[in-house]
Amino acid sequence: MSKQDKKSKEPKPKATERIDTSSDGARHLNEALLDVQKLSFSYDMGKTDTLKKISLEIPKQKVTAFIGPSGCGKSTLLRCFNRMNDTIPTARITHGNVKIMGADIYGPKVDPIRLRKQVGMVFQKSNPFPKSIYENVAFGLRIAGERKKSVLDEAVEKSLKGAALWDEVKDRLGESALGLSGGQQQRLCIARTIAVEPEVILMDEPCSALDPIATAVVEELITKLREDFTVVIVTHNMQQATRVSDHTAFFYLGELIEYDTTQQLFTNPSIKQTEDYISGRFG
Amino acid sequence: MASESESTDLRHSLGNFEEALRESRSLVIKMGSLAQQNLTNAMNGLLQRDEDLCNDAIAEDEEVNAIERSIDQGGMEILMRFNPVATDLRSVLAAMKIANNIERISDQAENIARRARKILKKKEVEDIRLIEPIYDAATAMLQDAAKAYAESDTELALTLFERDKHLNKLHRKAIKHYTQAMEADTENIKTYLHLIFIVRCLERIGDHSVNICEEAVYITHGTSIKHVGPSALES
Repeated sequence: MSKQDKKSKEPKPKATERIDTSSDGARHLNEALLDVQKLSFSYDMGKTDTLKKISLEIPKQKVTAFIGPSGCGKSTLLRCFNRMNDTIPTARITHGNVKIMGADIYGPKVDPIRLRKQVGMVFQKSNPFPKSIYENVAFGLRIAGERKKSVLDEAVEKSLKGAALWDEVKDRLGESALGLSGGQQQRLCIARTIAVEPEVILMDEPCSALDPIATAVVEELITKLREDFTVVIVTHNMQQATRVSDHTAFFYLGELIEYDTTQQLFTNPSIKQTEDYISGRFG
Repeated sequence: MASESESTDLRHSLGNFEEALRESRSLVIKMGSLAQQNLTNAMNGLLQRDEDLCNDAIAEDEEVNAIERSIDQGGMEILMRFNPVATDLRSVLAAMKIANNIERISDQAENIARRARKILKKKEVEDIRLIEPIYDAATAMLQDAAKAYAESDTELALTLFERDKHLNKLHRKAIKHYTQAMEADTENIKTYLHLIFIVRCLERIGDHSVNICEEAVYITHGTSIKHVGPSALES
C-alpha cells in the first residue's frame, strides 16, 4: 500500500505525536488547530517587542487572513508558527507560547525541521528549485527518505492535482520548473508544500507578484485547500482577504486589534481602529 | 487588545471616494425632501381643492425618479471603483434601498394627486376631513424617517414602529367609515372609492418610512432589524 493510500484509509497522526511532545493535543482536535497565547516576540534579544501579547486561536480547516499595515507584525507572527524566526540569532519569544493541537511548538523536544513539514510555507515570490517540475514536488518526500518510484509518482500527481496544476504540466514533468509562468511556479510551490501533507499551510502574500488571472486561480485554490488543510494567509489586499478567508485578524503596531469572522469584520467591525483601516481612513 | 482609536472623523485616503459617499448621501436627503413636497402638494391639492398643486405633485415625480437613477448609478460606481467595506458598504447599500423606498413614496404621492384631481371634479363630501389625521401621521413619519437617516438618529428611527401601528389603526377605521359611506351615499360612491385608495396610499407611505428607518439603523449598528423590529438590536 502506498503512502498516499495509507493516508486516505488511516487516521492522520496527531500533531502531538508528530512533533514528539506529550501534550494533550487530541482534546483540541475539533477546536483550534493553532493556539497562540499571550505571545510576545522580539527581534533584538528582548529589548523591544515586535509582537505584544498576541492571543488567538486558528481554527482547523479554515482560512484565516492576517491584515494590517506594513510593520504591524503579521508576517512575524506567521513566521513564528513554523519557527522561521529561529534563523535570526537575536530573535526571541519573550512571552507566551504557540501550540499546535495542544503541543507547544517552542517546547525543548521539538525539532524545527520536523515542525516545518507539519507547518508548510508559501512565500511572496515563488521559489522553485532549479530542478524539474517532478523533482520540485518530490523533493520533500525524498528528503524524508521516500525512495519508491510508485509512491513518489503518486504523491507528485496527487499534489499537482491538489494545486490545480496537473492538467497544465502532466506532459512535461521532466522539464525545468523555471520554465513555468509566475502563477504556475507559485502553484508548484503550493504542490511542493502539500506533498508532505502538512497540517497547516502558511502563505505570506502569495499573490502579490501575480497578475489578476493567476491571482484568481491561486485564490480559488486556497479556498479548495481548506478541505484538507488549515491555511493562514498574510495579505495586503483586503479584497483578497474577503474573498478567500473565513476569519480575519487585524494587527497594528504589534498588537492584535480585532479578530472575527471575515464577514463580521468587513461588514461591521467592533473596533473603530479596524474600521478606519479597512475602509481606508487610517490616520 | 489595543484600545479603540480616539479619532472620530478621519477622511478616507481616496478623496474621490469620500466625495462620492457624500454625494450619495446628499442626493438621498434631497430626494426625501422632494418626495415630502410632492406628498404635501398632493394632499393640499385634495384638501384645498387646488388642481395646480395636484399637477405639481404629478410633474415633480419625474424629478424623484431621476434622482433615484443617479443614486443607483452612483452606488454601483462606488461598489465597482472603491470596494467599500464596513460602514461605507452599509451606507452605499442602504442609500440605494432608501432611494427605492422614497421613489415608491413619491409614486404614492402621484397616485394621491391623480385621484385628487378626479375628486375635485365632483361635489365635495364632508367626511373628506377624516383623512387629515392619517395624512398628519404619515407625513410626520416620513419627515422623521428622513431626519433619522440624515442625523443617524436611532432613537427617533425606532419610534416609527409603534407609530406605524397607530397609522394602520387609523387606516382601518377610515376604510370602514368610507365603505359604510359608499353604501349610505351612493351618489358619491366614486369619491369614496378614491378616498379609500388615498388612505391606502398614506398607509403605504407609513410602511416605506419604516423601511427607511430600518436602513438608517442598519447603517449605524450593522444589524438588520427587518421583520424583527427594535428587539433585534437587543440581541
